Amino acid sequence: MPDSLRHPSSFKDPSGFVFPYAGKIYRQVNKAFAENYDLFIQTGLYDLLRNRNVIIRHEEVKENLLKSGEWYLTLLPEQISFWSYPYEWCFDQLKDAALLTLDLVKISVEKGLIVKDATPFNIQFVKGRPVFIDTLSFVKYDESLPWIAYRQFCEGFLYPLLLSHYYKKNFQNQLYIYPEGIPVDLVAKILPAKSNLNPAVWLHVHLPNKMGKKRNTGNSNLNFNKKKLLTLIDHLRNVLLKLDHTYTSAWSKYYTETISGNEYIEKKEKIVHKMLQQVEGKTILDIGANLGYFSILAAKNNYSVVAIDNDEQSINTLYKKIKEQQLENILPLCVDISNPSGGSGFANTERNPFNERAKTDAVMALALVHHLAIGKNIPFDLMAEYFSKLAPQLIIEFVPKEDEKTKLLLLNKKDIYPNYSAECFENTFLKYFQIKERENINGSERIIYLMKRIGNK
Amino acid sequence: MGITILYVDPGSGSYLVQVIIAAILGALFYFKSGWLWVKSFFSRTKKNDTPEKKI
Repeated sequence: MPDSLRHPSSFKDPSGFVFPYAGKIYRQVNKAFAENYDLFIQTGLYDLLRNRNVIIRHEEVKENLLKSGEWYLTLLPEQISFWSYPYEWCFDQLKDAALLTLDLVKISVEKGLIVKDATPFNIQFVKGRPVFIDTLSFVKYDESLPWIAYRQFCEGFLYPLLLSHYYKKNFQNQLYIYPEGIPVDLVAKILPAKSNLNPAVWLHVHLPNKMGKKRNTGNSNLNFNKKKLLTLIDHLRNVLLKLDHTYTSAWSKYYTETISGNEYIEKKEKIVHKMLQQVEGKTILDIGANLGYFSILAAKNNYSVVAIDNDEQSINTLYKKIKEQQLENILPLCVDISNPSGGSGFANTERNPFNERAKTDAVMALALVHHLAIGKNIPFDLMAEYFSKLAPQLIIEFVPKEDEKTKLLLLNKKDIYPNYSAECFENTFLKYFQIKERENINGSERIIYLMKRIGNK
Repeated sequence: MGITILYVDPGSGSYLVQVIIAAILGALFYFKSGWLWVKSFFSRTKKNDTPEKKI
């Protein structure tokens, strides 16, 4: 089998690999993993996990599509509509993914198997909930051994969550720099002194850190068993449940404090709702979604929405709301549109850049233009070109200089934006789009446009 | 020690840590359940006392 047929992210595990074929993503099970895979199916573990919606569903395809010498079986997993990575998740997304991983260990151990990989990169969000996607991570359980993935679990899940808990900042994004997890020696150094009051920090950070410096003594006579493993898993679960990330960011009260209840939002909602009716396709990227007021509006109009914002606390609030209300078609992510995540991993191809994943039917950019143009000095021309590459349709709000929010942005800044006007905005965007509709929001100077991309750029 | 540590897969070193953590958790559980037993013993005798007093 030529190696180029594999997906570039799928080379680490000898048990099988993922490959694109005829527009779909497949997974090959290698002969070397046949015994474990059969056990996974025959013990009923797969059915159990599938019925609980915690693992990706798949169909078995009894065809060696790539004519591979290693072939045992081909799987066609349920196709994931939008790929996200842990460094784009909010605190509660990573926490839920961690709890899911621990649940998988508990369930599989009862069936005589164990999860050998505990990286957050094995989890995706499907219909609002985390789902484990690596079908080939379940192996026969040897009761005399501790959990092979414990260290990986700590570095990939527990440490970013602990740091976020103590600092009330986004540490999930550090998984972009440390895709294998934040190293224990670094975490031990940077955790604040008050974390020493938490026994879990001693057990899972300082102890492994001290011991990591000693030589590995081998695995003989470990005196471990299933009861001990389950005690450890339950303990980790309790540690995670106590971690909390609630704080008030400048943006997380935006609607409740400044807009909600007044006429502006009602008028804006009417206009956006009307424009959404004219959007063709199914997917929307809501840039600068804040608490997702308009993402939810779009989702209720049967669009699949990816809601992004650079304020992690807002995204976390939105995620909790989605969970409570069981809204299936919104995926909230912490992405700063002026600095979206790039391609990463070996050869920069293991994980795709956000731009490639974010191709949708329409972009929604409400109350965003002034932040990009004045807050980040991004010229209209670059903005228009970028949006036109992301989607063929655009719902965009222009916030003029006279607006009090724009005035705030200019408060401590020299006004170097002579071209920041509705006229200039329209003329620049007309290079890439045609304007289908233009609506003033009564009572403010703001304008909302519905645009369509020119040609097939 | 020395340079060999650079070549050892860090994941493999976590077995011994888990053995120690499990031992500590086990000991804590032992003391905790002992304490709970003591607590429940006294609360049980108290409960039994109350109806008798009423009579």
